[in-house]
Amino acid sequence: MTALLDVAGVTRRFGGLVAVSSVDLQVRKGEVLGLIGPNGSGKSTLVNLIAGTLPVTAGKLTLHGRDITGLPAHKRARLGLARSFQLLRLFPTHSVEDNLLLARHPFMRTSLLDSLIGRRSAIEEEQAARARAREILALFDLAEFATRPASALSIGQQRMVELARGMFAEPTLFLLDEPAAGLSPPNVARLIEQIRNMRDTFGISVLLVEHVMDVVRGICDRVVVLDHGEVIASGQPDVVMQDPAVVAAYIGTGRRRRAAG
Amino acid sequence: MIQRALTIVLIASLAAAPLMLGGYGLQVLVMILLFAVLAAGLDLVTGYCGQFSFAQGAFWGIGAYTAAILHRDFDTGFWLNLPAGALVAGFAGLLLGIPSLRLRSHFLAITTIAFQTLVFLGLSQWTSFTGGQYGLSVPVVGSVSVLGYEVAEISDIRSFYWLALAVTLLCLFIAWRLTQSRLGREWIAIRDDETLARALGLDATRGKLIAFVVSAALAGVAGVLVAHHIRGVSPDDFTIATSAAVVAMVIVGGRGTLVGPILGAAVLTALPELLRGAADFKLIIYGMLMIVMVTLMPEGVVGRLARRRA
Repeated sequence: MTALLDVAGVTRRFGGLVAVSSVDLQVRKGEVLGLIGPNGSGKSTLVNLIAGTLPVTAGKLTLHGRDITGLPAHKRARLGLARSFQLLRLFPTHSVEDNLLLARHPFMRTSLLDSLIGRRSAIEEEQAARARAREILALFDLAEFATRPASALSIGQQRMVELARGMFAEPTLFLLDEPAAGLSPPNVARLIEQIRNMRDTFGISVLLVEHVMDVVRGICDRVVVLDHGEVIASGQPDVVMQDPAVVAAYIGTGRRRRAAG
Repeated sequence: MIQRALTIVLIASLAAAPLMLGGYGLQVLVMILLFAVLAAGLDLVTGYCGQFSFAQGAFWGIGAYTAAILHRDFDTGFWLNLPAGALVAGFAGLLLGIPSLRLRSHFLAITTIAFQTLVFLGLSQWTSFTGGQYGLSVPVVGSVSVLGYEVAEISDIRSFYWLALAVTLLCLFIAWRLTQSRLGREWIAIRDDETLARALGLDATRGKLIAFVVSAALAGVAGVLVAHHIRGVSPDDFTIATSAAVVAMVIVGGRGTLVGPILGAAVLTALPELLRGAADFKLIIYGMLMIVMVTLMPEGVVGRLARRRA
């Protein structure tokens, strides 16, 4: 299997704090890679570095064999990299459908000028995109909300809109930052199903940051564990979760060790 | 449907205005049209794209002085001045747009104030080029010929009003098309969440620059019109006070609605004229109106109406 995304020695410092320290990991084609770790271990920072929302301090990022380390966020998105945000992020005044449509803008063949002067090709492309957006929304049971402003939906629905938006952009790699946060158990089950669907039906590789262990066990092909910005374990989910270093990082044997020593 | 009918009725009555109004009424209407273009242009930058600017008066002045200087040095007429004014002001808009890529909110606002001040100082102090405080004179539009046939003579207020109305409607149509296009959707996205817009692959840099350039070019068009309307230019028409008035029109009318700022331009241009009888209290009334509006309706009149309907 070839690596779709290669993260090599990536480091990010905030002043004196090393949030991500020389991390190496690969996301392979067609897999769901889980990225787990205790609070503050640098998971979201790593996602921001990969997406280009934050610049790296050191290290190299390669997507499809292309060095993307110096590329701004919007150019990475155009190479097929989509992301969701830990704190929900939708355009609040745009309709649900327009939220999806915006993710497709960078890939449209007709120019802004075509759209401005109302050329037939631009109108047709937009109509086709809208029809496709409706199909995707239907997959997420959101069809009836298409024309509502995104801010009018419930948190669970907004999460689904975020996923639908990512899928609509037809990415090769989707970075999901805690998509299960704040979801009710039935919605978590649906989320797992949707992510599986993305991988199996649409061939989208996923880097999944998640706290909810049911989601990690239910869907991830492999797991990488971060602690204090460093990779401390990686491999099969069930194996990794038995790893003493991982258990220690989560449950915090530090205190016990100190007490024993 | 109702909106379309209302628009047609409004345009028809504006076109028929010279049949009912005298010279003074038409003078006021022309100023309303010009400020409608300025306010609609600023709304693209501020209301849609979310970038503050206190420089619309400067772009207005750049358009007006482009017409005056081209006429003085090259004896050009209105029809050449019009695209030239749009072009020069648009280029100035690009220059102001570049810092906007790195600055946000207050810092951007201060930069635009500095730009506005620089332009004013240039107009008033560079006497050899701009005529300084005395300004420059500009001729009437004169005869309009198509393929050698004279079709109109624009030398009185009535004919100039129709010309101004036609150019204004064209400008407002362009602004409206922009807001309805893919670009308009991207502007709102940049305004609401620039980080997200970039993460989705939208080129926020390009979106902002286009907004600044188009907004300034529209102001430039209004500038060429005002130069030929009052048949001259002087720096005192293009101060920070003018820019602040345009900002007020956008805010009172309702940011990001296009109709709101146009309405704001009409009210805030007509109001000082209506208050001429109470000249001593004019600024007090104006100030109180602003305070009341910003306190009770921060989203503007049209913004409030739109929200209530939704």
